[in-house]
Amino acid sequence: MTSTRTASRTGLAALALAAALAVAGSANAQPRTMLNVGMAAQDISRLDPHYSTTTIDKVVVGWMFSGLVRFRPGSISPAEIEPDLAERWESSPDGKTWTFHLRRGVQFHRNFGEVTAEDIVFSLTKAADARRSGFAADYRAFEAVEVVDPYTVRIRLKEVVPSLLGLVTNYHGGNIVSRRAVEQLGDRFLREPVGTGPFQVTEHRARQSLELAAHEGYFRGRPQIQRVSYRFIPSDASRDLAYQNGEIDLIYGRQDQSWANRMKALPNTSVMVFDPAELGLLHMNITRAPLNDIRVRQAIAHAANREELIQFHGVDVSRAGTGLLPRGYLGGIEVGAVPHNIERARQLLREAGFPNGLTIKTITTQLPSMLATMQVVQAQLRRAGITLDMEVVEHATFHAQIRQDLSPIVFYSAARFPVADTWLTQMFHSRSIVKTPTAVTNFSHCGMADAEIDAARVETNPQRQLELWATAQRKLAEAVCAVPLREGLQIWARRNSVELGYQLNGAMSLGPLLTEQTRFR
Amino acid sequence: MSAAPAPTGNGAEAAAIAEDSPAPRRGGLARLVGLFNANWTSWAGLAMLVVIVLMAIFAPLLAPYDPLDQSILNRLKPPSADFLMGTDAFGRDVLSRVLYGARISLIVAIAAIGLAMVAGGTIGLVSGYVGGRFDVAMMQAMDVLMSFPSLILGLVIVALLGPELRNLIVAISLTAVPPFARIARAPTLAVKERAFVEAGRALGFSHARIIFVHILPNVMSEVVVMGTLWLATAVRVEASLSFIGLGVKPPTPTWGGMMRDAFENILDAPWIAIYPGLAILALVFALNLLGDGLRDATDPKLRGE
Repeated sequence: MTSTRTASRTGLAALALAAALAVAGSANAQPRTMLNVGMAAQDISRLDPHYSTTTIDKVVVGWMFSGLVRFRPGSISPAEIEPDLAERWESSPDGKTWTFHLRRGVQFHRNFGEVTAEDIVFSLTKAADARRSGFAADYRAFEAVEVVDPYTVRIRLKEVVPSLLGLVTNYHGGNIVSRRAVEQLGDRFLREPVGTGPFQVTEHRARQSLELAAHEGYFRGRPQIQRVSYRFIPSDASRDLAYQNGEIDLIYGRQDQSWANRMKALPNTSVMVFDPAELGLLHMNITRAPLNDIRVRQAIAHAANREELIQFHGVDVSRAGTGLLPRGYLGGIEVGAVPHNIERARQLLREAGFPNGLTIKTITTQLPSMLATMQVVQAQLRRAGITLDMEVVEHATFHAQIRQDLSPIVFYSAARFPVADTWLTQMFHSRSIVKTPTAVTNFSHCGMADAEIDAARVETNPQRQLELWATAQRKLAEAVCAVPLREGLQIWARRNSVELGYQLNGAMSLGPLLTEQTRFR
Repeated sequence: MSAAPAPTGNGAEAAAIAEDSPAPRRGGLARLVGLFNANWTSWAGLAMLVVIVLMAIFAPLLAPYDPLDQSILNRLKPPSADFLMGTDAFGRDVLSRVLYGARISLIVAIAAIGLAMVAGGTIGLVSGYVGGRFDVAMMQAMDVLMSFPSLILGLVIVALLGPELRNLIVAISLTAVPPFARIARAPTLAVKERAFVEAGRALGFSHARIIFVHILPNVMSEVVVMGTLWLATAVRVEASLSFIGLGVKPPTPTWGGMMRDAFENILDAPWIAIYPGLAILALVFALNLLGDGLRDATDPKLRGE
């Protein structure tokens, strides 16, 4: 009897324990809803998408904004562009008039109301205005953006552009901002932007983090992640330790083989390497001595050693630059990557009147991967007798100073919409020369290919268009406006418990997109 | 240590000066060496310092590789027979960079503290000698400067002037001026009341002559001891500024800069940080031992005077 009672007590206790564990288990089974992201940054600079040029800003802008159309999440292929704020669109037979029909009921963040055609007109007009946008040059072909009705917008072009949809995607100037928010918030819009994406800014903690919350009214559905903390951890080692300690779930990586290998070895971690590759070019100001002597520029081009750079960064995360455009861009050709030849470099310097070498100043960023590249290049040029006097500054300062034309040599690493026109216009058209009213990122002051770039933009014959772009690149390469160095792929890592909700092959925002489907397992 | 110069002048005044002058300590150096000897750690500090200075001077002969030469194929190699302290992220030999890095640390420390000794010492001497409102104003200005921690003040100055060797020296020396002014002023206040100074004035000596010929030798020992102690601080501040990216520009090797570069790879290649760290530790330790020994040897209380 006693043993029966004991047994029944034991059984009850076991049952109670099992029930308790089941309850606890079900409580633990609740997936997390707060995502911590570690970014190599001191701080954000400008979150107005029409100004965001740094990787740090672009990543987070990608979570907050929508375009009329969008790249399918995880893809950067123009062939996979799909509806976003616009449900459908059509163009006139001559390709100069495009009409977009908007999705109804799409809400801006923070109760800034519904997206209407007025917002689209305001946003695209702002993107095309050099006083209010850093990408105005891309929109030069826009003649007018008009409201047809509250849910219909018409874009009229002065001339046909190579890819109109590329200008209205969720990328750069194509991101749609709220008219009311821009007018109401003024300069605050740079830090507290208002878009229509799945996440919205709730707080900016200077030099610490940007806090975001799910946009409950997101038109594709309520995001499964409720809060995102975008933490600024500039040091790679500190960021890695934070990841290993479980403080962050998604981490911006170092474009370095040893980093990739180490992260791959961590348990429950996936390393994500994806496009677009950012092409690093060494832009040389052809108007400033001694770089105004083409022999000096040629010497620098011959002193650069791309293979060594690939060995330095690792084959998983980088590949040699083969031209003035990143590989795979429509219209890009392989030109300008001259062979590494130290003797030839020295000879050119002697011919230019620098038998004992020369010193050139440059401003470079503290951003670890870019600084490391520049230190390798510095050593390579040193072998040819060229001393790079590097001033190392914080990343946002670097961006500000190179745009003030303060650095005769600029190492600039970037990715753009994968069509030659965008890249050539921003990097090598004279309208884009830094410190001019229409400045973008022409640091070399080259303008010898303006005619071809302009002609290609309106050329309707695809073959002729390709020829014009090729000619432009050959002219620029001949003038040695820039030296192609390496293409760096994007590299991030995440815990396996974070499910992005799509296959990540590429992201124009240079970081994994967080969508309404992104969640913890 | 303090040995007053033989007063000059003729007749009764000269006799008065001679009577009041601090007795030149016959055998003072020998006694100092004796007191210095009493503490073996002082000699250990001096020996370590001499070794580090010799390493810095003969770095081109001792370094197995060019400290700037990159060898990408040899990057992040652990210590081995080929690379005794391993290689860094750029395949540069850490040993060679540590040896050359000593030069920057020593140059910055010596130049900065030398400047601070001259500037601070002069301010302290003149301020103490002139006295009155001028003294109050100068010392209050020094107090304001002293209220900032050396690193913060150095950081602000380098950030304003730009990260260059010269600016680093200026920044560190500015942070060290106030303590030297203070240390020079205190004995000046006492010495200026002495009869030989009065006599000097009576003989019509210029203020500059009284300050720099008659008072200075009496305050010199304190300033020198202070200088030795502050050399260690200067090494630390230089390393800290380099660590936070405000040091000498790359690729020049500096210990702080090496630690900064190493930080990005500390999980993969800790040796890149360990060796410059040990070098900083050794130099600071040596300077502190030496400074402590000198201070003890010149401290009248410890000498039982």
